[in-house]
Amino acid sequence: MLEISGVCKCYGQHEVLRDVSLTIGQEIRVIIGLNGSGKSTLLKIIAGILAADAGQVVLNGRDVSALPPEERRVGYVPQHPALFSHLIVRENVRYGLRGGRGSDELVQKVVKMLDLEDVLERKPEELSGGYKSRTSLARALAPQPQVMLLDEPLSDIDVAIKEKLLPEFREVLKFLKVPVLYVTHDPWEAEQIGDSFSVMVDGCIRDIASAEEAFAFIRKNRIEVA
Amino acid sequence: MRKNLIDVVFVPLFLLLVVFPVAALLLNLDGKGIERTLADEMFWRSVVNTIFAALAAALLCTVLAAGFGYYHLFKQHSIVYKVANLLNDLPIALPHTVAGLALLLAFGRKNFGFIGETGLAFTLTAVVLAMFFVSYPLAARAIASGVDRMEREVVDVARTLGDTPAQAYFKVVLPVMGEALFSGFVLAFSRSLSEFAAVVMFGGNLPGSTQVLASYVFTKVEEGELEMAVTASAFCIMLSLLIVALLGLRRLKWRHA
Ligand SMILES: Nc1ncnc2c1ncn2[C@@H]1O[C@H](COP(=O)(O)OP(=O)(O)OP(=O)(O)O)[C@@H](O)[C@H]1O
Ligand SMILES: [Mg+2]
Repeated sequence: MLEISGVCKCYGQHEVLRDVSLTIGQEIRVIIGLNGSGKSTLLKIIAGILAADAGQVVLNGRDVSALPPEERRVGYVPQHPALFSHLIVRENVRYGLRGGRGSDELVQKVVKMLDLEDVLERKPEELSGGYKSRTSLARALAPQPQVMLLDEPLSDIDVAIKEKLLPEFREVLKFLKVPVLYVTHDPWEAEQIGDSFSVMVDGCIRDIASAEEAFAFIRKNRIEVA
Repeated sequence: MRKNLIDVVFVPLFLLLVVFPVAALLLNLDGKGIERTLADEMFWRSVVNTIFAALAAALLCTVLAAGFGYYHLFKQHSIVYKVANLLNDLPIALPHTVAGLALLLAFGRKNFGFIGETGLAFTLTAVVLAMFFVSYPLAARAIASGVDRMEREVVDVARTLGDTPAQAYFKVVLPVMGEALFSGFVLAFSRSLSEFAAVVMFGGNLPGSTQVLASYVFTKVEEGELEMAVTASAFCIMLSLLIVALLGLRRLKWRHA
């Protein structure tokens, strides 16, 4: 269970997040919003990479708002895979295994589900875009995080490959049974992967019934803003 | 084709102000000067001193610069970082005699008299410290720009995977800083080879013990041994070209990696 309440964030005069509250259980919640609406900022605040000006992040009943990222147990998958280029795929995937986090069993399972068995000894630079994304996801999943945060993880990937990857991603994310926040711009991708949807406009978030409605909502509000 | 203004102004000025002095030096080389210099034990000692002290200084620079990189990445708002950053720019405008004097006052007889009559001053250690002082900012900047070029998300991910800032720095930042660390090292090494004022102020110019190539050339000119000064200078030019080539070679390697 991930509960976010009253999160605010300003950069100088610019209010990037305004009183954001959101509660999700073991579901894949897709966040849809225009460029600059504050989606990445929200994920970074949940991960502890950025500090919020106000508000709480509660993970499975524990208030983690004051904890640094290394103590939060979140899985973070940024837009570009951001792999550790000096380590092979196996070392990337196992990077977060320490102090009782994750297990060999889970690693094996994730590696199998994401079809990484044959590339484990390769360096990231030798991988195609699709395999880089898979590795980035596997690396975040392996330490068994309590929440998964994915920030447009497939935006660099060709549609044809995306089509193959999305069901795989959904399956492995479901397997972990944790709350998942998944940010995307792509309506089709949103429908494919999401259980439920939120829309973000100008730093405000709200639940919405479907991806289609989310985009309709954005279109309407953008016109009002413009 | 009509020449533009830049060709008309740049080329002659460049030839006159940069190429001509180097050529003048090389044209003044003569066999007897070369022979006498190569036979001079003090020349070879100054070569060894220069290379040894510059290597030690560059190493020290790189280690400290790596520390600065950590502050640059994680602690930009700390006082330590702000002071360190300010002091990085200082030696550029500072006459190096001033740097030498500062070192003399800090590590000389007054504070370090317990080590010897002159403290650390006028020893090879002093030469290393003087070279370090003027070269360190170059290394620090090389690392900082390397850190800036790195993908910030890599560090963010390492943190969410359980790394403290220091762990992330050692495990995922420094391992990919090869090129930045190497250029920092080579820049610091080159700067150290060329240092004269700070070295002479703090390390002295004792033939055979603290004399470096820069001060050897100075001494030979003072003694009126112009041919020997010219030979030593040509040697310096060769050394510099070697380093530039080295830097180019390594850049090439990293680009292809
Ligand atoms: N370090 C920063 N300093 C100042 N402003 C920032 C900073 N980081 C982000 N912003 C601003 O905050 C706003 C929200 O940024 P954010 O990256 O969260 O948006 P986003 O919804 O993820 O957009 P995108 O879809 O383009 O990824 C943007 O207007 C951006 O310009
Ligand atoms: Mg974003």
